[in-house]
Amino acid sequence: MSAISFKVNGKTQRVEADPSTPLLWVLRDHLGLTGTKYGCGIAQCGACTVHLNGEAIRSCQVPLDGLAGAEVVTIEGLSRAGGAKLQALWAELNVPQCGYCQAGMLMSAADLLKKTPKPSDADIDGAMANICRCGTYPRVKAAIKRAAGVAA
Amino acid sequence: MDKMHLNRRGFLVSTTVAAGGMALAFTPARAAKALPAQSNSWGPDTAQGNELTAWLEIAADGIITMRVPNPESGNGTMTQMAMNVAEELECDWAHMRIEVASLNRDYREDHVYTKGFLPFFSGHATDKVRMAWCLQLGASARERLKSAAAARWAVPVADVSAHDSMLTHGPSGRKLRFGEVAADAAKITLPAEPVPKPSAQWRLIGKQSLSKINNSQIADGSAVYGIDVQVPGMVHAALMQVPVMGGKLKSLDKAAAMKMPGVRAVVVIDPAKTRKSPMRDKTSFGLADSQAQHGVAVIADHFWQAKTALDALQVEWDLGAGASVKSGEDVYAAMRARRDGAPGRSLRKVGDAALATGSRVVEAEYGTPWGDNAVMEPLGGTALVTADSLEVWASAQDTVQAYWVAVDEIGMDPAKVKLHGTFVGGNFGRRTQAEDVRMVVAIAREYPGVPVKVIWSREEMFRQGRYRTPVQTRYKAVLDDATGLPQAVTGHATFSGDRQMFHLTPGYSDSPYFNGGAIPHVSLQQSNVPVHVLNGAYRGPCFNSHAFITETFIDECAHAAGSDPLEYRLKLLAPWDSNWSDCLRVVAKAAGWGQKLTRGEGLGIAITAWPAARKGMGSVCAAVARVSVSAAGVLNVKQVDLAFDCGRVANADAVAQMVEGGTIFGLNMTLNEEMTLKDGAMVEGNYDEYPMQRMADMPVIKVHYDALSGGDRFEMMGEVTVGPVGPAVGNAIFAATGKRLRSTPFRKHDLSWT
Repeated sequence: MSAISFKVNGKTQRVEADPSTPLLWVLRDHLGLTGTKYGCGIAQCGACTVHLNGEAIRSCQVPLDGLAGAEVVTIEGLSRAGGAKLQALWAELNVPQCGYCQAGMLMSAADLLKKTPKPSDADIDGAMANICRCGTYPRVKAAIKRAAGVAA
Repeated sequence: MDKMHLNRRGFLVSTTVAAGGMALAFTPARAAKALPAQSNSWGPDTAQGNELTAWLEIAADGIITMRVPNPESGNGTMTQMAMNVAEELECDWAHMRIEVASLNRDYREDHVYTKGFLPFFSGHATDKVRMAWCLQLGASARERLKSAAAARWAVPVADVSAHDSMLTHGPSGRKLRFGEVAADAAKITLPAEPVPKPSAQWRLIGKQSLSKINNSQIADGSAVYGIDVQVPGMVHAALMQVPVMGGKLKSLDKAAAMKMPGVRAVVVIDPAKTRKSPMRDKTSFGLADSQAQHGVAVIADHFWQAKTALDALQVEWDLGAGASVKSGEDVYAAMRARRDGAPGRSLRKVGDAALATGSRVVEAEYGTPWGDNAVMEPLGGTALVTADSLEVWASAQDTVQAYWVAVDEIGMDPAKVKLHGTFVGGNFGRRTQAEDVRMVVAIAREYPGVPVKVIWSREEMFRQGRYRTPVQTRYKAVLDDATGLPQAVTGHATFSGDRQMFHLTPGYSDSPYFNGGAIPHVSLQQSNVPVHVLNGAYRGPCFNSHAFITETFIDECAHAAGSDPLEYRLKLLAPWDSNWSDCLRVVAKAAGWGQKLTRGEGLGIAITAWPAARKGMGSVCAAVARVSVSAAGVLNVKQVDLAFDCGRVANADAVAQMVEGGTIFGLNMTLNEEMTLKDGAMVEGNYDEYPMQRMADMPVIKVHYDALSGGDRFEMMGEVTVGPVGPAVGNAIFAATGKRLRSTPFRKHDLSWT
């Protein structure tokens, strides 16, 4: 067991757990932040995407012992981290079907728009590698374009 | 133990605290009006405050909470239920909330949520029974509110009107909000039930595309799925079932795992421990397909500890007879041998195929493999077992099934069993039988007095599926020398899998090509080859295979006859309902059918119906796919156009979602999906081995509404679209390359051409 302190959504958290525990499970089981989803555990699906020190990462791949002093933003903190417009568009454009993958989609989309405010189709295709079984990809793309103010 | 028995308020407090006090962090100004905050996903087990009925509660602040037995798993069913009620209730849509009804309450209160209301599956909310039920619910509530206001004002009720959650006395202009008279309304019994308004006067259904009611909660991460449930004091379990279905546990050495951090128990799941329901279950389809598998589980303080210890567990299995099945190819070969070796059960026989004369014969065999539903939210749930109670929180596709499975596993009086249905992270049939709820209860029973949350790992999900039923079909047609249309068609479809419930024939024996009268001699048969691998429901069960097979075969007939595939289908369908032809014509026109394309480019067409091709019922969907195939064989599905007829649409955008999603599902199924078998066990364990379409793979998808035939039908649109997409793509590949694909997944075929 080791105790690691880091910030989640602006608030300092001290977590005592096995150092190998992935951030995904630290968030879900130790901090009760269940908006971040488990989908595959091997960085394939993107349901667990969060921002770590300003970068979108798959939280299932980051162990607790690498997090000392880190700043993490999860879906629960996205609106205060500049994602409110995207979230509102997700609702307005009826993007989600079951919704399970959408937290990861939103975290990936927010990261894309921060780095590439006016993304091309190829930019979106390249950045949005998240899996959605319901098939919401066309609407995810439409919502990103609306948020960026680029032509549909 | 009292602390463990949580009331609803206790749960709400705990989730708010757990979420770091951020439950109110996000309320988008724009969404707030249309999309009210959702406090919880499941309804209470006992009557609440100002209930007008068990289905509808209006609080003093005007919040309207509706409770329904059909949970939301992505198809918008809960939103549609709320829309149907709102149509008559004359309420402010922003005040609507919706919860999954308590089946415990249903049991104790004379089936208040399921009697007279088709409860099975998450289902569509627009079938006649459900829609009429909701409209009546809304109309009755509105009249009771009006009566309450009239009584308050001592005026005739005829002078009171309701609009936007406001009651107005016409002559005086006085107003009362719904919430102000809700308590009075709850005590009012109407002398007679009001008659809902004619559909021509609807202002929501068919007129507005309201977004899903829980969208805001999905977008801010607060929507609670089964995997997200937090119960104070709960522990976590990771599960491993016998790798070959039907096998048993031989030996288990717990010692090493028990010493690992946080581990509380290592438990054994044995189907023989099922205690059986003390009374006959009330499920639609019975409990036979919900049986437990042998397995082991580690229970620990946290899931990561449980999973890590599970991986370290020393387990020996008696794999059983299934282990002698070397590969899926062996199973498919046995299916072909069965099919070609003896007649099957006759599904349809008209005329005598032996009488057909014609020099052109089209004969081919087609096949589809096992596939996994690959739902994004893993199976699982949370259960608390005590000496005299069971409480379960789970993502259920069919709450009635899940409830009775829980009762059956624990063997208690149903009144002592509670099941809380959450939002559901995808179904596509995977959760129909609720065997996951049984496993959760079986695990929690071994660790009583403490809530246990069980999560299937993704590997467990893929390798312990209830798979798409494989189908191997041989079709033969003798074409009329003059017309090119078949004089005779014979077919024999062989299924594999012991679960007969999922040997369905839509897209095969109900095909209007064969039933419409255009083909004088038809003989269609089916048979089965048993195998230990469990088959199950998978979006449009079996239909998804038959649709591919039949529409590929008909395309082959058209080409053999030298006919245009669209014109050929229209001729075959001429004696049938015009809506099939209308769908074909609309989609063909929209997609630019008939234009000259260069080699390597192709258009393909296909059409199907679900749940059955019968005149005046079900949904029909036609698709045209536009593909390009490079000489090296790289496929690019560029565009899919779809036209459909489900009668009318209640929410056009919700239907578009189903069409888009079904198209992508159908594409993935056809291009990518196959579960393979080695020595009785499923091989693929995760998405790196089971490829999925992603953003970069998307074609342009165009949804066309011009083939809707109207009337008073609002048929379901979730399944039908997975039918035509695959064969349309396959037929387009043939048009582009001359290569005919008779089995899926297409990624395993060489598409190169010279």
